[in-house]
Amino acid sequence: MAGRRARSILRRIGNGVAGMGFRVGVDIGGTFIDFCLWNEETAELHSLKVLTTPATPGAELLRGLEILEERHGAAPARITGFVHGTTVGINTVIQRKGARLAMLATAGFEDVVELARLRMPEAYSLFSRRGAPLVSRDCVFGVGGRLLSDGSEEAPLDEAGVRRAARAARAKGVEGIVVSLLNAYRNPAHEERAAEILRREAPELFVFRSTEVWPVIREYERTTTALINGYVHPKVRDYLDNLIGGLRSRGVPAEPLITKSNGGVMSAALGRRNCVSMVLSGTASGVIGAAFLARQARQDRVITLDIGGTSADVALIVDGRPQFGLGEKIGDLPLYIPSVSVTSIGDGGGSIAWVDEFGVLKVGPESAGSDPGPACYGRGGTRPTITDAFTVCGFLGQHELAYGALRPDPVLAEAAIATVAGPMGLSTEAAAEAIIRVAISGMFVEVNKLVARSGVDPRDFALLPFGGAGPMLGCFLARELGVRRVMVPARPGVVSALGGLVADIRNDFIRTLFATAEPAQGPAIMREAAALERQGLAWLREEQRFDGPAAASWFADMRYRGQSFEIEVALPEVALRAGDTAALAEAFHAAHEGIYDFADRDSPVQIVNLRLVMAGTPPRPALRPPPRGEGAVVAERVLRVFFDEAWHEVPLYRRAALGAGQRFAGPCVVAQDDTTACIPPGFDAEVDAMGNIILEASLPEAAG
Amino acid sequence: MAIDKVTLQILANHCRAAAENMAYTLYRTAHSTFVKETEDFTIQLLDVAGHTVGVPMDLGATWYPGLHYGKAIAMIPEYRPGDIAFTNDPYSGFLSTHVPDLHLWKPIFHEGRLVCFAAGHIHNTDMGGAVPASLSRALTEVHQEGIRFKPSLLYRDGVLNRELLDVMMLNVRKPEQNMGDLKAFVGALNTGERKVREMIARFGADTLMQGMSDLMDYAEHQAREILRSIPDGEYFFADFADEDGPEGHPARLAVTLRLRGDEAVLDFTGSDPQLTSSLNVPTGGNPRHTLMLVGVYYVLFSLNPNLVLNYGLTRPFTCILPEGTVVNPSSPAAVGMRSLTCARLRSLVFGVFGLAMPERMPAAPAGSSSIVNVMTHDDRTGEAMIAAINPVVGGGGGMPHGDGTDGSGADAAYLKNTPIEITEAEVPIRFRHYGLAPGSGGAGRWRGGLATRMDFEALTPNTRVTARNRDRCRFRAWGILGGGPGAPSRMVLNPGRPGERVLNNVDTFALDPGDVVSITSPGGGGRGDPFAREPERVLRDVVRGYLTPEAAEADYGVVVRGEGVDEAATRARRAARLGGAPPPHFRFGPEREAFERVWDRDAYDALTGILAGLPIHWRHFVKRRLMEAVTAEGGGGAAVRAAWEALLGTLPPLRALRRSRKLAAE
Repeated sequence: MAGRRARSILRRIGNGVAGMGFRVGVDIGGTFIDFCLWNEETAELHSLKVLTTPATPGAELLRGLEILEERHGAAPARITGFVHGTTVGINTVIQRKGARLAMLATAGFEDVVELARLRMPEAYSLFSRRGAPLVSRDCVFGVGGRLLSDGSEEAPLDEAGVRRAARAARAKGVEGIVVSLLNAYRNPAHEERAAEILRREAPELFVFRSTEVWPVIREYERTTTALINGYVHPKVRDYLDNLIGGLRSRGVPAEPLITKSNGGVMSAALGRRNCVSMVLSGTASGVIGAAFLARQARQDRVITLDIGGTSADVALIVDGRPQFGLGEKIGDLPLYIPSVSVTSIGDGGGSIAWVDEFGVLKVGPESAGSDPGPACYGRGGTRPTITDAFTVCGFLGQHELAYGALRPDPVLAEAAIATVAGPMGLSTEAAAEAIIRVAISGMFVEVNKLVARSGVDPRDFALLPFGGAGPMLGCFLARELGVRRVMVPARPGVVSALGGLVADIRNDFIRTLFATAEPAQGPAIMREAAALERQGLAWLREEQRFDGPAAASWFADMRYRGQSFEIEVALPEVALRAGDTAALAEAFHAAHEGIYDFADRDSPVQIVNLRLVMAGTPPRPALRPPPRGEGAVVAERVLRVFFDEAWHEVPLYRRAALGAGQRFAGPCVVAQDDTTACIPPGFDAEVDAMGNIILEASLPEAAG
Repeated sequence: MAIDKVTLQILANHCRAAAENMAYTLYRTAHSTFVKETEDFTIQLLDVAGHTVGVPMDLGATWYPGLHYGKAIAMIPEYRPGDIAFTNDPYSGFLSTHVPDLHLWKPIFHEGRLVCFAAGHIHNTDMGGAVPASLSRALTEVHQEGIRFKPSLLYRDGVLNRELLDVMMLNVRKPEQNMGDLKAFVGALNTGERKVREMIARFGADTLMQGMSDLMDYAEHQAREILRSIPDGEYFFADFADEDGPEGHPARLAVTLRLRGDEAVLDFTGSDPQLTSSLNVPTGGNPRHTLMLVGVYYVLFSLNPNLVLNYGLTRPFTCILPEGTVVNPSSPAAVGMRSLTCARLRSLVFGVFGLAMPERMPAAPAGSSSIVNVMTHDDRTGEAMIAAINPVVGGGGGMPHGDGTDGSGADAAYLKNTPIEITEAEVPIRFRHYGLAPGSGGAGRWRGGLATRMDFEALTPNTRVTARNRDRCRFRAWGILGGGPGAPSRMVLNPGRPGERVLNNVDTFALDPGDVVSITSPGGGGRGDPFAREPERVLRDVVRGYLTPEAAEADYGVVVRGEGVDEAATRARRAARLGGAPPPHFRFGPEREAFERVWDRDAYDALTGILAGLPIHWRHFVKRRLMEAVTAEGGGGAAVRAAWEALLGTLPPLRALRRSRKLAAE
């Protein structure tokens, strides 16, 4: 009943026919919870930041909704869309506060997660170790039965062994069981039968099969994905139940959607079981929001730079689209479902500066985090951070931050910076600038790795900084990278929250084929593709109740037979539907040629995995352009700022006072509620039609 | 004048960025399994003299941050823009250390001046020679190990030397793989050049060159700081490879570490003579040869995780490498399997530094990673196929504040495995077991990391298996400070079935359908008194199946009943242990203890003295004969000298040789 009601509402939302109202995007970070409110009637976008309340998760969310009603008239009954990105999943993993799990494995292979892929995170240290597995080894139970790589059965499932495992797991006091058996990607029969027995023998325990979570070949990757899903399941389920209940009790008609690691959204109700797909949603929705803004501003190739108090992440946007990858990191664990590729380049504004015994200045890897945070926040921090360095240099501290919630204290910042300035024999301001330069060069290393991995040149890209500290550091990093254009969006502080509002309803589907792309395999490939498509459409139409436009994109992980690795190939849909294996092979040859400069058209080509991305596109906010600005920009006042080894007087501009079409130049500071943009000399600025500040390096390249 | 310390850190980051950029470019575009899966490649940024100033941290092998290209660079008389040089000859400049390793370097010029080099190496799957993959410990001279090139120009003025390349490709078994990796490598060097140009634009060529020099001073300073923190003194240690060749005698690696202030001498006198197998380590006697210092890099980095990795680290160290020994062989000694010996050299260095600073060092890591390949035929196509199966790797040694990592870690931490499901889908074998080996970690306050066991069954006739680097089947990974040694490695054909055969260090054999081979790596050594380990930790190992209750009681004095500790019985058991003398620093296990009752330090000193006086081509032969002759315990040096006199009696040519040498000496 409740389900039916929710579905009917979701149907209306999904199709955007619920009449004019408000849509709300919410994203939780380490320090703040960010809101983005879209008034469908006026096409206006509003934003809000509220300090998080770690003690009572969820309370800040409801508080934020109250403020949105007070300020913008967004009454709960008029909220027709609600998209939420939550960190409950990732925090559960990082803090290791998830479910006590048992696991069923194939006998003889119980150590699959202990062995992992062997390699340790730090190659040069004798003391390197991996993060602890999510299931304790004494709760891993081997059961007899063996499937082969072609899906045939060598030995039947030992059902008595499964029953024994169920009893043992109950005796261990676990909350749930994950079933992951060898070669199950090819034939889930043993996993299905085992799950059935477990549910009967231990009905109070939740059960997940590796093949329902992500049925990919590679036992460690599939197993660890299923374990993460089980590990976060109870916390995510409870959180989402609270969210759904809380919104309903306040009379919000919208069925909440949650953001996913793959950059899409899905209904919160589905997220209760499909937990792993939302673990990295926070970073992903930032990139989705940034990609949306980049497309609107007609910037094709963009490096996004998302810096908050505790994290700094970059991602590539090529032709307006984010990049996807496997093996993204959740703390010290890898995640092997397709996720928006995001690379951590540091620990954000809270990274701590120090001087080593040779007198060399270092920044990080220690971070003051959000508690106590930078010294200048006055919450008990005493060690110098990047944010303190910006305060000492005068970029911060002369105006308020975060909707008046914070004002950095230059005196506290000075005292902290002095602890490194002394040993280096520098003035505090010179030490502060040195900290900024060293921090930037550290980020430069990481961005360089990303572009090298992707085979692109940063100079062909624009930098799009967002997050609370992105616009503070963005221009400095752009200079280091040789990037000549920087785009500061209108509301850098809430790009992640906006990302949820503009995301597709999206899911990934996979079948491992291990088939050779040859005509004899054509019919089988067609059959598998048709089955995947049915599965994808069923998810979109029946589970998500979405009947707007649907788009299927096809990919395959392919290789030459004998190669030990695959490359991702976008498949031509016509060829796939026709079972045209020659055309599929050619798509691979061309992709191979693109990466390796050669193709071996006589070699047999293997299709390891066939993958489908099924996406439904809800209506997107049409942003109302800001009014055009008239005349020269007027400085609110003059700031004293230290850069290039000297104090300078530079104008402080209010973002709200800048109109489209207005031009100005660095050095200057642009302040707004959610962030402060620091613009060094050498950049010319113009506010574009959508309110973005577009900065162009004015100096010749060699001097950049 | 040195550049300021802020710019230095920024420059360090840019150098690292350039190296990482090259490494990722190579990794992304290379084809071979060696590059993709085992990451057997390295990247360096070199100063004009060929010293390594920057290496990547994310990708590649860990052996070459202190590599010096100087001698090889100098073997090419002139460099011009667009040149790329290469070599793979272990005896031309002692840069490449076995034939499959191809080193390349590209000079980078600015306004007519040489500023630096971009460089690196890749391990080619095959470089020709007597056996597929070019490596076998049975080979006896370098000529059998593949086609060799002395330092030569692959590109001159940007033009490829096609003839030279054709010669290489004609002589190797998988030319398309070598070609693909080589192209990727050249691409990476060009990327490196581009990155260096960006650095020149940003910092200026003078600052860059000065900065490179300062970065080496910085690393040197860090290394010296660490050395200063270690007590001065002279420390001796020896470690043994099980065999000096197929069915051979133990091969001894010995070192005397002399620490004075911030300097260290590593004297390898006492190490085995040059061997007539391919276990020799070609160093040319270079006192700072990188292969002799790999263990040192690990020690320094473990003690200071902010260590800058470059040639500067090696400056406080001087290695003494007597000519004609396993650590400084003369051409044409075979060197292909030097990786087995290098593993012993690392444990040797860990051991000797452990004597100098016991409180800061771990026990021995497992120390032998078997690289397993299968050659067979694909039933579907009838074609011959070769596939890399998982490396079988053991755990780390017990650490000062934690257990050794299980199944991987320490100096084997960079290896990766291949998913069972991928291998089963491609190779006609079926896995029967892949997991940790219970009870294999050395007991200790902090126990050694567990070994890995892998069993697989062949499905096709004449399935040829090679398992390289097999060692530690006899001599175990040692424990320290009261910790016990790890379990030895083992390799068995058809375990528990008729026709069971212990293979251990045999490194090539064939399987027929139904045959099962079981390979167990060594386990890591334990650290500290096992009776001081918290009973809860012992219990946890029992509950997890990593330790039997019997071993818990015998080795740890912990009495486990069901899933709990019997505390009273444990207290009684622990109290009843005979007190007395503090434990020796090392526990080696019964095998080495028995061997050293015959071949103690005195006996080895005698042997070393005798061999040093002989022409190199006689040494390994004489060592073998003396090992066969001296088998009684306690004879010491006298027994060895007696055996030598007896041996001389049977070998007139050697007697004559000794007479003429004596005359010459007088």
